[in-house]
Amino acid sequence: MKVLVLGTSSGAGKTTFTAMMCRYLSTHGHDPAPFKGSNLSLNSYATADGGEIGMGQAFQAWACGSEPVTDMNPVLLKPSGNGRIQLVLNGRPHSDISRESPMDKALVLRTVHEAFDRLSAEHDIVVCEGSGSPVELNLMERDVANTGLMRELSVPAVIVGDIERGGVFAAIYGTWRLMPEELRPLLKGFVINRFRGDASILGPGIERIEELTGMRCLGVLGYEFLRFPEEDSLSVSDGRFEGDDPLQAYLDNLDEMVSHAEGSGFDFEGFLEIARG
Amino acid sequence: MDCIKKKVNEELERGWIGCNRDCEYNPCHFKGQDCTFCYCPFYPCGDTDLGNNITGRRGNDIWSCTDCLFIHRTDVCRHICSEVERLGITEAGDPRFKDIFRDVKERFWRRGRALMVVGATSDAGKSLMVTALCRILLRRGYLVAPFKSQNMSLNSRVTMYGCEIAMIQELQARAAGLTNPDAHMNPILLKPKGDTVSQVMVLGQPYGDYDVEHYYSDFVPGPGREIVAENIDFLKKRYDFVVMEGAGSPAEINIYDVDIANMRAAEIADADVVLVVNVEWGGSFAYALGTVELMPECDRKRVKGIILNNLRGNPANIMPGVREIEERLGIPVLGIVPHTRLDLPGEDSQSLRGLRTKGDGRAVVGVIRYPRIANFTDLDPLLLEDVTLRFVQTPEELEGVDAVVLPGTKNTVVDYLWMRETGLADAVAALRGRVPVMGICGGYQMMGRVLDDSLGIEGGEPRVLDGIGLFDNRTVFGEYSKRITQDSGHMAIGDGGEVTGYELHMGVTETSEKPLFRIDGFVAREAWDEGSVREDEMLFGTYLHGVFDRPSFRRHFLSLVRCEGGSAVREEPRDYVQSIEENLDKLADAVEQSLDMDALMGILGVGQ
Repeated sequence: MKVLVLGTSSGAGKTTFTAMMCRYLSTHGHDPAPFKGSNLSLNSYATADGGEIGMGQAFQAWACGSEPVTDMNPVLLKPSGNGRIQLVLNGRPHSDISRESPMDKALVLRTVHEAFDRLSAEHDIVVCEGSGSPVELNLMERDVANTGLMRELSVPAVIVGDIERGGVFAAIYGTWRLMPEELRPLLKGFVINRFRGDASILGPGIERIEELTGMRCLGVLGYEFLRFPEEDSLSVSDGRFEGDDPLQAYLDNLDEMVSHAEGSGFDFEGFLEIARG
Repeated sequence: MDCIKKKVNEELERGWIGCNRDCEYNPCHFKGQDCTFCYCPFYPCGDTDLGNNITGRRGNDIWSCTDCLFIHRTDVCRHICSEVERLGITEAGDPRFKDIFRDVKERFWRRGRALMVVGATSDAGKSLMVTALCRILLRRGYLVAPFKSQNMSLNSRVTMYGCEIAMIQELQARAAGLTNPDAHMNPILLKPKGDTVSQVMVLGQPYGDYDVEHYYSDFVPGPGREIVAENIDFLKKRYDFVVMEGAGSPAEINIYDVDIANMRAAEIADADVVLVVNVEWGGSFAYALGTVELMPECDRKRVKGIILNNLRGNPANIMPGVREIEERLGIPVLGIVPHTRLDLPGEDSQSLRGLRTKGDGRAVVGVIRYPRIANFTDLDPLLLEDVTLRFVQTPEELEGVDAVVLPGTKNTVVDYLWMRETGLADAVAALRGRVPVMGICGGYQMMGRVLDDSLGIEGGEPRVLDGIGLFDNRTVFGEYSKRITQDSGHMAIGDGGEVTGYELHMGVTETSEKPLFRIDGFVAREAWDEGSVREDEMLFGTYLHGVFDRPSFRRHFLSLVRCEGGSAVREEPRDYVQSIEENLDKLADAVEQSLDMDALMGILGVGQ
């Protein structure tokens, strides 16, 4: 099984949602693995075998109850200033990319595909995380983690939209509309994230988006106070590890989220159906 | 009437004078106003496009034209003067003034045009875009008013008439060069009291508490729509342009038909619309396309342009996407505005989310960051000095501060209970005499000995609490009423310098402390003492929001701060008002340089 979690923007909540799903699956009889095709981040984690991956995937691995491995984030892009970016493949520095020497997309996609295959051979479900918005019109040709992965692996996707800033229906609908037509059938569901208040007020809007796009709404998730660092610096987290055992605090935090999601009637079964394809 | 006649006669004799910058009240309406007819030769014109009847003290009708700007337009004044000369009129009350009035109104009076700025999200930059457009249009010689039908904000200001409006509309009015922002510019103000309930203010006065459901089912279809229509009409009669601001996203399809802050307001005002999208978080093309396409056809055709805001980086990089979105929507992208660093007050508490510090000065001023913090823009002027603001939520964060400010709150009692739970109440008490402590409004109330809410008016349930006890004050929340007033006066300590501000609070404070300020009385009001001070213990308290705006008190307070051996006062005094003016121009410059101004003026129906 495989599924891709896309976001309507940076900071929409992809990383945490993916971690929450990993935690849910691993505590409900599955053996999940997180995966992010390509990650642009300076915040990295050293795996046991000395490789380097994005911190978000390390946390997600722990949420699965497993050790982080480089296959979970086979491509890491580390901005090194002056318009240069260090390309890390399978956890090892590969080359520097810049305007003059752009990324070899074929090589990168092959690396991503192989890592994914290794991962899915060992786990029954791979929960992939996208990067930024999948429909940045000027970046789509070069995209790896979103439309790149969808093309390469035909992975079905759900869109996470952040309602805190408002405009979430527009963001989800616009993301669906701007998706290349041949990939649109892979968009199966959406999630409304960071809602405060009485969710029943959203009903008519959700129904309309379901009608317009054919995607199904998996649920409305409430605002959560994170007690662990978020993936990238765009979303400033007030949270921090609490207590003596930070990893346990993180898992407890995810368990709370799962239980809140269950309480709100989140459609976990629907998520699995999408992953089954 | 005789007095007015005498004044008009003097004006007729003097002839056209333009803007009288020597007058101590100038500008009493707007920057660059024409002062030839300080007293109107047409009074009482009786024209309801320009004024209205009000009820006098004895129940009689009085013609009021305090809001009329028409007689302060230069082209109008020049024309009147030339007609007066041509017809040889020398006396006020000459019957031919009626003909001149008809003629001059026919020639020069036009109902203004409205333009609406909507945003794909909150924080898209709508407010500042409206602010920029107000300043740009002012600089191009137009009379322009900002408008936001419905604003949800805990940052408000008090108008000259004692009405409460959102802080940002006041700032926009200032950008438009208007001296007296009024409640017409923000007729509905929602002040959140919790996740779902808000106090609804109409024309600056408390109207009632509504939860989300009843706001949309009762208030909007009832009085709401009418309030929006009346106030837009009021402004259109007086200004060349009304630049309207939407709220949140205009494409919240779950509440689309009852959303009177966005496209329904545009429809009522017959306004063209520009959509602002913040590109900072990514997904901006999806947000833009989704926002427009989720609107029904009739609304979609109002959208005449898109502005991409807050770009960090090279605009050339996103041009391919820009062209594609223009093609797909058939709407031009009017410009890409770069991220611009400005020192302007932030609109709502979202802008404080996750913010730990602000500024980079030497002196650390700890600001208690209550859950319901209100009017925190009171603190911004401190950043004109050598100050860093640190937003404090735990006693640990209070360690090492050089001064403490307890700002305003939407709910003194509930936030004070939070102060106790967190241990901050004790931590602040322990700083007595060690660093200067300032309480503003709700923070001032907390500094007292007793918070008497025995009727449960503030906190919801009856309670009498011991306050922090820094002052021997007792605050009683005796009735559900709110004091809303503008004040000006002088410090009762230090150099006796000027202070201005405004009060917005429930509750009355009894005090035997030495007063901090002496507030001037005007018209029927006596001068009175305000606030509390213990100079030896460096304790200050006041109800005045905006207390740091003027340099005198700000610098007095900070002169008590000792940090790294020096004081926190900067050598060269900077005026907060001046700093805001500079930043408004900087903002207008950035927007003007980034936008296709010909296209924008075309949307406004000007030129080409």
